[in-house]
Amino acid sequence: MADDMNQDVNVETQNAEPEVIETVTVERQSAPSAIKVPVSLEEQEKLKKLGKKKISKAELKRQSVLLILGAIFFVYGIVFYYLPLAGWFMAFQHFTMKNEFFDSFFHSRFVGLGKFSFLFRFDLLKEAFDQTGNVFDALAQWVDGAMFIRTLRNTLGMGVLNLVTSFVAAILFAILLNEVKNKMGKKLVQTISYLPHFLSWIIVTGILRETLSSTGIVNEMLRALHIVEDSYNFFLEPALFWPIVAISNVWKETGWNAIIYLAAITAIDPCLYEAAEIDGAGRFNKIRYITLPGIAPTIVILLVMNIGNVLNAGFEVQYLLRNGVIQKVAETVDIYVLEWGIGKGDYSLGTAAGMFKSAVSIILIIIANKVAKKSGQSGLF
Amino acid sequence: MNSKKFIALGALSMLGAAALVGCDKKSKYTEFTMFSAMEGSELNPDNDIQNIIAEKTGVRVKETWLTGQTAEEAVGSIIASGKLPDFIDGGNGMTQLYAGGYLVAWDPYLEKYPNLKEMYTDAEWENFRQSDGKIYWANVFNNTYGAPKAPGHNDEAFWIQVRVLEWAGYPEIKTLDEYFDLIERYYKENPTFTDPTGAEVPIIPYTVQAQDWLYFALENPPQFLDGYPNDGSVIVERDTGKVIDYNTTDTAKAYFKKMNEEYQKGIVDKEFATQNHDQYIQKLSKGQVLGICDQNWDFNYDVQPALKTAGLDELGCEYIPLGLTIDGKREQRWHTYGDTLNASSGCAVTTSCKDPDKAFKFLSDILEQEIHDLRYWGVKDVDYLVDENGVYYRTQEMRDKQNDTAYKASHMCQYSYMPQWLGTSRDGINAMQPQEQPIEFRASFSKPLATCFDKYGAEGYPDLIGSVIEENTAWFPMWSYSNELKPAYPEDAADGSHKAGDVWPAGVAWENMGKCKHEWLPKLVMSEDFDADWEAYMADYKKCKPEDFLNEMQEVVYQRIEAAK
Repeated sequence: MADDMNQDVNVETQNAEPEVIETVTVERQSAPSAIKVPVSLEEQEKLKKLGKKKISKAELKRQSVLLILGAIFFVYGIVFYYLPLAGWFMAFQHFTMKNEFFDSFFHSRFVGLGKFSFLFRFDLLKEAFDQTGNVFDALAQWVDGAMFIRTLRNTLGMGVLNLVTSFVAAILFAILLNEVKNKMGKKLVQTISYLPHFLSWIIVTGILRETLSSTGIVNEMLRALHIVEDSYNFFLEPALFWPIVAISNVWKETGWNAIIYLAAITAIDPCLYEAAEIDGAGRFNKIRYITLPGIAPTIVILLVMNIGNVLNAGFEVQYLLRNGVIQKVAETVDIYVLEWGIGKGDYSLGTAAGMFKSAVSIILIIIANKVAKKSGQSGLF
Repeated sequence: MNSKKFIALGALSMLGAAALVGCDKKSKYTEFTMFSAMEGSELNPDNDIQNIIAEKTGVRVKETWLTGQTAEEAVGSIIASGKLPDFIDGGNGMTQLYAGGYLVAWDPYLEKYPNLKEMYTDAEWENFRQSDGKIYWANVFNNTYGAPKAPGHNDEAFWIQVRVLEWAGYPEIKTLDEYFDLIERYYKENPTFTDPTGAEVPIIPYTVQAQDWLYFALENPPQFLDGYPNDGSVIVERDTGKVIDYNTTDTAKAYFKKMNEEYQKGIVDKEFATQNHDQYIQKLSKGQVLGICDQNWDFNYDVQPALKTAGLDELGCEYIPLGLTIDGKREQRWHTYGDTLNASSGCAVTTSCKDPDKAFKFLSDILEQEIHDLRYWGVKDVDYLVDENGVYYRTQEMRDKQNDTAYKASHMCQYSYMPQWLGTSRDGINAMQPQEQPIEFRASFSKPLATCFDKYGAEGYPDLIGSVIEENTAWFPMWSYSNELKPAYPEDAADGSHKAGDVWPAGVAWENMGKCKHEWLPKLVMSEDFDADWEAYMADYKKCKPEDFLNEMQEVVYQRIEAAK
């Protein structure tokens, strides 16, 4: 995904470039200028015709290679992305796995929205409302009582927190790194900073446990500074769990995420900086008026895509770091699906939970896209 | 010939040779696979005894174990993947396997192979019958052949290091208060100790697990402290069969209040609530921890060999089980005499097995005395010796080897989740498994442990605990039912009262109670204001509707009493 995106972004910045170039300098007009070549009237006519042309056999033959290539991906999409959606039907039955999958698929008992009502427990909400008569109190009780709603809240909360922190961190990091003049130092920092991306979460959580343990470095420092008397147990404080997850995400992914922004920054024409310098812009102003606007399209597209991913707030970190005391803030939808769907053998319940998650993700991504378009940036679709 | 060609030729010939060897191996034995829903260690591929057994039976079984997930999750993903091993012990996931029709019924093979039939009496086999009236698995543990020999205690207890008892002059410890008082006094005088390597190791007076399902060590002592056996999820009154919730009794409150006090005094490990099983075992293996509450099988198979290897056993770091009650006056049942029949899980053959007859024949073959001896005692004259009276024994060197994990992986092959016997061997002299051989049992003792046994005049661990000796009740153990509870009914009821997929109130309540206790019990121990938090816990607990669960358990008790008549 990230690679495709990167290309898209590059194409766009390239497209945008020549216009600016013309006004500033003549030297760099070589390569991308081809796009701007004026089209003759004759050719314009041809193009118009092409648009209205019916699909003839000759045309099909001429494009056969393209069609075949396209067909391959079309079939791939159908087989691997759309056919499996039929499995969503399981959310409306009580699926009992028999030896033969299709046999059990067609012969399981249909339960309608039963699984969803087990997920959402609207009866609890109603009960709480009848008792308290206050919408907010009732909602709070409902979130506390209905396990799925609670995991949904946790997933959304951690997802948004992760999104904001990792997003800001990556952009800041890319900009700061771009300002480093020493090329060796820049390369070194970049390489080191994206290495944690390749560590698996099980290792990262191991490191986290160790650093935050009673004899770990964090507690040693706190004790040395006399902030705490005795060691502090970070994993027992529900309020700290989301930040711990967010910080570990930032530590692990900042370097990696920054690569895309760094690429976008290098695509900005250096002449712009030179011109700005002549106009008297300092470093800060150059960042503000050239770098940030230069990478704005990248930022928006990545934001739209990541908002669709908000509900994928993670599984491993929470699964590996949770304990009984903080389970109410630690469990995500994915953990719920594993525990109840696979663990308790209620595949239908797991499907229903996963299906709801997909639906929310699609809604989020559509909203984000609309907002991006409204604010004058190009959206994802 | 240039060097590249030479290398290529060499590589090719090696590949050919490897292929030939591969073929050769395949043709010799039938290869089966087995998955057990418990953490365990895999054997080396060229394991000696595995090969000997393969030679004799024509079958070799590759065992795999649980890694990281829970048993239910592992079985769930095996089913979802559709790739089943030939043999499986799914633990809590057995019902899923049965409901999915993945298991081969034992019934025809029970008649064919008397070794298998012999495992249980007809009445006992009845317990294994599923809703379709057939038997799909047999529990392989806790099954005694001939006269019982067990000098061990494989159940739960409050454990204490030998050296603490030795320091106090082997006192009699009967209550929770006495237990913690002793630990406190010892800790006050000995906050650290020097291990055999000369390192100064800080002492952790008491620790307990609170993670995942292993939190039972924190959760279930109230039932034992009240003098009841390990029914696991409820107390059942012995005379009336009435079900009592041990989470809400006065004893439960007293127990958690005591734990809370000890935590505030710094006696209970500060990290108990967040440590995982590995960290826990590591602490015990270092000899750091004076006291724990746990099931023997959950720690001692790892901890005792580790203590021995490190030489900590001679410092008195091994554990002695104590049979505590809340007041020290009542009878207690920490130790379960006789076999505990757990019909809810066991060894099964799956429908993926291409030759079920051969699989069952293998299960039967490994119960033959000769092969059973190979599995548990090892090779004669290599792993054990036989004296003139036919008694098996080991030299110290042999015993040390049995504590060496590398040797075990390359040499020993127990097939430990397949049918096996405890008790007396068919020769009428020896124990089926070495740890039950009296001479072996005492011979492996360190000096402090032997002294301790002598001082208390105990022959086996059960004597140290001193539980009442009596027949198990008809409903025992109730956890074999509560382990199978699910949030939705897996099958239609015979009387039509519910259908597959309907919400199972008892299952939902049980799940919610577990979640609630997972959160609250560690919090109670660490609480600054215990009484207020206890009230809050009780309020939360009531919201889980425990009565849904308890009522169903009550019905099950009555059913089991009826069935036993």
